[in-house]
Amino acid sequence: MLQERRSGRVLPLQHLRNRQPHSSPSLSWNGRYLALLVQQGGRRQAVIEDRATGRQHPLFLPAGQDPQELSLAPDGQSIALELISGGNQRVQLFDLSGLLEPDQAPGRIESGGGPQP
Amino acid sequence: MSRPQRILIALCGLLLVGCQGGMRPIQAVNQQLNRLGDSESASLSRNWLALIASRSGGRAQVQLIDRRRNAPVPLQGLNRPDCLPISVAVDQQGERLALVRQRDDRSELVLYRRSIQTTQALAIEPAGVPRRVSLSADGRVLAVEVSRSGLWQVDLLELP
Repeated sequence: MLQERRSGRVLPLQHLRNRQPHSSPSLSWNGRYLALLVQQGGRRQAVIEDRATGRQHPLFLPAGQDPQELSLAPDGQSIALELISGGNQRVQLFDLSGLLEPDQAPGRIESGGGPQP
Repeated sequence: MSRPQRILIALCGLLLVGCQGGMRPIQAVNQQLNRLGDSESASLSRNWLALIASRSGGRAQVQLIDRRRNAPVPLQGLNRPDCLPISVAVDQQGERLALVRQRDDRSELVLYRRSIQTTQALAIEPAGVPRRVSLSADGRVLAVEVSRSGLWQVDLLELP
């Protein structure tokens, strides 16, 4: 469930209805991206829902690596996945800058805007 | 190596990258993470990664990795020998860490401020057993998963 804190309104999530159970939800700064684990057949899969475009990005892992938990960086440019592989439980970081636009903190100027006054 | 073989290897490489859905492992920090042993409960911000790690046979400890240097930073006073960390979260500045830990057979929720190396217990009202914690990027709001009478609930706490 995704709920807006200011209004209490429950927001729709387009692609997630039939892939339960869901776990480990993680939001970017402005709530544009929601990363979570869903059920895909007999396995858990990490996905990122882009609420601005309605697209869903599945994050494919090499065979034998099963995600247990995740944490999305607030700007959406990297993600930490807790992976079970060969009896080991390891956190690994992945770069998402080639996949997602940044979801910047409110008021942050990234570029442009002309010369400083 | 012949040219067709090189082209085949390059195509396989592109296919592997494509199969990871556009995400790439960050090798420099992952090598550091592998040195920590088993790890769990990751909390990621732009420049910081908090997690709970334990080397083989060792005690679980909270670690805070500075992503700019790919190295852990000291957390004076946070890891106590009489406590077992269960869940950790870090804010965007790497200043505040929220932690659920087990101490004397009970779970407690604490807030650690790194600049002043101080740990503050946070009360849970009504009483319950905390399990998992999440901190907003600005460090001002804490979400904690709490068990009460067999029900899992999520509490939001505003922090000063």
